[in-house]
Amino acid sequence: MTTAMQRPPLVRSGDRMIAGVCSGLADHLGWPVKYIRLGMVLASFAGGAGVVFYAWLWVMVPTADESARRNSRRPASPIAPAVSMPPSVGMPPDVAAPDAGAQPLPLYAPAPVVASWFKLKRIQYGKEILLGAGLLLVAAILIARQFGVEVPLGTLIPAAAILGGAAIAWMQLDETRRAGLVDKTKADQAGGWVRLAAGLTLVVAGVLVMVSGSGSWEQTWLALLASIAVLGGVALVLLPWGLKFWKDLETERAARVRETERAEIAAHLHDSVLQTLALIQRRAGSEQDVVRLARAQERELRTWLYRDAAKDSGLLAERIAAAAAEVEDAHGHPVDVVSVGDAAMTDRHEALVLAAREAMHNAARHGGGAVSVYLESSDSGSEVFVRDRGPGFDPDAVPEDRLGVKESIIGRMKRHGGTAVIDSSSEGTEVRLKLPVENADKAENRNGDAKA
Amino acid sequence: MNALSEQVERSVRVVIVDDHAIFRSGLKADLDSRIDVVGEAGTVEQAIAVIAEVQPEVVLLDVHLPGGLGGGGREVISGSSALRGSTSFLALSVSDAAEDVVAVIRAGARGYVTKTISGPEISDAVIRVADGDAVFSPRLAGFVLDAFGTSPAEIADDELDRLSSRELEVMRLIARGYSYKEVARELFISIKTVETHVSAVLRKLQLSSRHELTKWAAERRLL
Repeated sequence: MTTAMQRPPLVRSGDRMIAGVCSGLADHLGWPVKYIRLGMVLASFAGGAGVVFYAWLWVMVPTADESARRNSRRPASPIAPAVSMPPSVGMPPDVAAPDAGAQPLPLYAPAPVVASWFKLKRIQYGKEILLGAGLLLVAAILIARQFGVEVPLGTLIPAAAILGGAAIAWMQLDETRRAGLVDKTKADQAGGWVRLAAGLTLVVAGVLVMVSGSGSWEQTWLALLASIAVLGGVALVLLPWGLKFWKDLETERAARVRETERAEIAAHLHDSVLQTLALIQRRAGSEQDVVRLARAQERELRTWLYRDAAKDSGLLAERIAAAAAEVEDAHGHPVDVVSVGDAAMTDRHEALVLAAREAMHNAARHGGGAVSVYLESSDSGSEVFVRDRGPGFDPDAVPEDRLGVKESIIGRMKRHGGTAVIDSSSEGTEVRLKLPVENADKAENRNGDAKA
Repeated sequence: MNALSEQVERSVRVVIVDDHAIFRSGLKADLDSRIDVVGEAGTVEQAIAVIAEVQPEVVLLDVHLPGGLGGGGREVISGSSALRGSTSFLALSVSDAAEDVVAVIRAGARGYVTKTISGPEISDAVIRVADGDAVFSPRLAGFVLDAFGTSPAEIADDELDRLSSRELEVMRLIARGYSYKEVARELFISIKTVETHVSAVLRKLQLSSRHELTKWAAERRLL
């Protein structure tokens, strides 16, 4: 299996005669192309097998482009590992047969450790190998019959039914476990139950035919009734134990989940809150430091507690909040952010964030009291208001060489089609930044449902 | 705010409900002489009993409280419904999560402030609530704008479901950090008018069954 992993993925190559199948296969197997092509042509004379094989690969194997577009986590083609074992007709059946018997066993591994190891190593290939082995077996039987060897079909078919049914049921088991790991909703289980039922039916039918041997209906019915009675009795006796066992298992699992959660919370609190409290005790003399530490910790804890998992980062509101946090840390001055609506980030919004950050820096540096930041995004554009309670200043009296206000706020907003107004009085200063939406931006605006 | 403190000569009788004794005593020390703390409580049951006994004008109510059925501050408000009209509730919390704020307002609180608020500010807020007005923090105003949308009402019959353009202006200014006085000056209206607008918004927030509000609340798991 590991050798298959190290091989280049099976894709149809661009260097093609017909569809790139042969050269792709050659790359994948590391054989010269001409032998593959020759083999394919020769196989075509053997009852057209080569043509069929070629067509099958053509349909099933993606081109290099398609493969690149896929998730790189998976092998290039789900069937690639199966075809990496050339299904040459000459393969002796005694090699294929034990394979088919041995393969389901690892699938059944119940311990989680084994399961996770198994998932890593083999999960992508289990089914394909099983399928391939089964097909090989069928092919071998057919060939053997052609050569006149007497094959006891009467035993082989029920055996195959049992094996196939068991495989189907076990695959189902494995898949529910995987689904349970991925998300707990366990959606799409109906199909799973159908498969389980199909598997069971196959196995039961196989066993019955095998046991009754003759295949006469009367005997089969009797056997069926007897086995149902026995199974029912056993189930009745074992049911209480089974239920108890299941309950214990559920309790234990819930406890483990709680324990994991608790450990995560403890780890987080240790890294953040406890560290900050220790720092605060050591810095108790400096009020400014204590306030700054407490404020930063509060912000961090709040984000952790109330973070909105549905909200993806990189949106305007998040960026403004991040800028406010940065200013708060830099100046040890509280900056309160209130945001209404949100917008996707563009280059222009980037400019808005930078201008707002500059305004917040100024407010924290020169203003007194808390700095209030208000962001409103709607279909018509985004507005940011930064307000402080400082003594105020005259924007026209700011010297030309001071670039903070002129360049970073007003100039930047103008260059990106927005406006910046500074309203300063003795009771405080408010910087109003406005970025009207561009027509092209309209689609990206996220505030639709708040307005509808 | 000066006008307010001058006009109120009496002292307002207040009950503080919070499960942290340290916070209660700190808050008591912070409140100024206009406020008379007549009772304290630390759990839902205690709070309902104390409020029924002393019948205060204002209850400073923590949103998260132990006891009762786990409903916290909301449960205290609904458990004190016999006093509705004479007792007002001002919610107080460290949490500024939308679900906590809006839930307690919809339960009947007259306002919402965070615990980091300064002593004079909270005293003003208590007086305001005692006078029957609503207290909106910038964040609460932000939630309101988020929930009701930022475009004004056009037709009269969805009056409960939309904010008028004047109410929107008031909410926006409060969200921007303006005090009531500054809002009044900015809009050339009286403080009383600002208070009327804010109370109207509070009523809408409490009564509206507006589809978007429900949806907004559901998205934040408020319902």
